Amino acid sequence: MALTGLFLCLFLMVHLSANSILLLPESTARALYNSYSTTLRESLLVKIVAYVLYLSILLHVGYGLLITLANQRAKPKKYAVNTFGENSSWTSQNMGLLGTMVLLFLVVHLANFWARIKLGMGAGVGMDAQGHVDVYEVTYSLFQNLYFVVFYTLLMVPLGLHLHHGLKSAFMTLGFYHKKGLRVLAKVSLVYAAIMAIGFGIIPFIVYLK
Amino acid sequence: MNVNFKIWRQDNPHSKGHFEQYGVEGLTGDMSFLEALDHLNERLVANNEKAIAYEYDCREGICGQCGIFINGRAHGPHDHMTTCQLHMRSFSDGDTIVVEPWRAAAFPIIKDLVVDRSALDNIIEQGAYITAKTGTAPEANAILIAKDLADKAMDAAACIGCGACVATCKNASAALFTAAKINHLNSLPQGAHEASKRVMQMTKQMELEGFGSCTFTGACEVECPEGISIVNIAEMNARRAKAKWWG
Ligand code: HEM
Ligand code: SF4
Ligand code: FES
Repeated sequence: MALTGLFLCLFLMVHLSANSILLLPESTARALYNSYSTTLRESLLVKIVAYVLYLSILLHVGYGLLITLANQRAKPKKYAVNTFGENSSWTSQNMGLLGTMVLLFLVVHLANFWARIKLGMGAGVGMDAQGHVDVYEVTYSLFQNLYFVVFYTLLMVPLGLHLHHGLKSAFMTLGFYHKKGLRVLAKVSLVYAAIMAIGFGIIPFIVYLK
Repeated sequence: MNVNFKIWRQDNPHSKGHFEQYGVEGLTGDMSFLEALDHLNERLVANNEKAIAYEYDCREGICGQCGIFINGRAHGPHDHMTTCQLHMRSFSDGDTIVVEPWRAAAFPIIKDLVVDRSALDNIIEQGAYITAKTGTAPEANAILIAKDLADKAMDAAACIGCGACVATCKNASAALFTAAKINHLNSLPQGAHEASKRVMQMTKQMELEGFGSCTFTGACEVECPEGISIVNIAEMNARRAKAKWWG
């Protein structure tokens, strides 16, 4: 749970940095993003990392589901009254629900990009002037549709919450117990989660308005 | 003061159980919560009704017996407190107070508010002791222990085994309890000899007893009457990883 989660956190950082290229002026952004994307797809190392990523997602979701079910079995009867808001955050009590919302996002997201570009499903994808697959165009055409813009932006809220608790929690699961370090980690988790949620959430909007 | 208790009644481990309402009059703010229950029980017994079963021993916050879930919180509305330390002045005249037993698969209900917490004893039996022969109390400085280590071990040793951590945890995890017991002894030279064995066996038993796994909601450290920090769980995880991979 923790190891796969942290790997996904790392992936998100790389993913967001790359996506910020999309916001540059079109003349540079299109060529740069497409050639970056092509380079990644052709590199053997990145291919291996990509399989590690798919495996991490499957393991994280599968193991998360198993743990959530096992933990529910450990508490089969709930309290009639439970004011857990007084002793813990709502986020920490609802990681399974938040994770499921992230998964919903992921399914739509992969259908929008991964399935079209890597699996060649759906509408065909053109080439740019350099002969690279025009991923830039896929993004810009998708975010002409306001429904997708709103969907992408809204679902970054559960992502941010999931990451905020998940990052701290993962370190403690792995045995990081330095008291001062944990206080710093709590702040880092908040900043990290905010950057991811706002960063990923705002890109579709800017693209839509451009 | 008058309150309206809504209390879980269950005759035995196998019966279904239900809430029963009791209006109680003539309480005062400086009665403890347990005295208010006693007050109600006296009336029930006088009327030939069955008294409400609940556990207590010391009534001064040190034995850990008085585990009751009150108005949505373990041991009532305050942080770091046992039920016997809770006073009726924490409630208002006319309040409805919902009273439930600890809920966890590993803590089966025996009767009313009494649950079987043997699962915690079973974890203790797997290593919360030392095998070194101690004899009579030795000279205090025969084994030198740094102040910070002694404090740390003492903080963990403060756990009274009440089970509030399990009761409040959405996963019914006993991680805070087990971590307190492990870190208490594993921090000290007296516990060093079987340190690895202790952490492996006790965490194993914790799983076997049917407790859930820790997801760091942090509810336990707020409800723990002894204020045992959740950082203990992270430390237990580190000790477990070390014992597992490096022996
Ligand atoms: C963007 C993708 C995701 C990232 C970066 C991520 C990250 C994390 C991290 C770091 C943890 C903490 C691990 C621990 O405490 O040991 C975690 C926990 C968890 N994740 Fe995810 N996650 C992602 C997607 C998902 C999805 C799609 C699900 C679907 C069910 C999910 C379900 C869970 C569950 C159930 C937990 C543990 C619950 C808890 O700690 O209370 N996650 N996640
Ligand atoms: S860790 Fe705290 S809440 Fe848990 S059993 Fe010990 S004293 Fe009670
Ligand atoms: S009765 Fe001993 S702690 Fe409450």
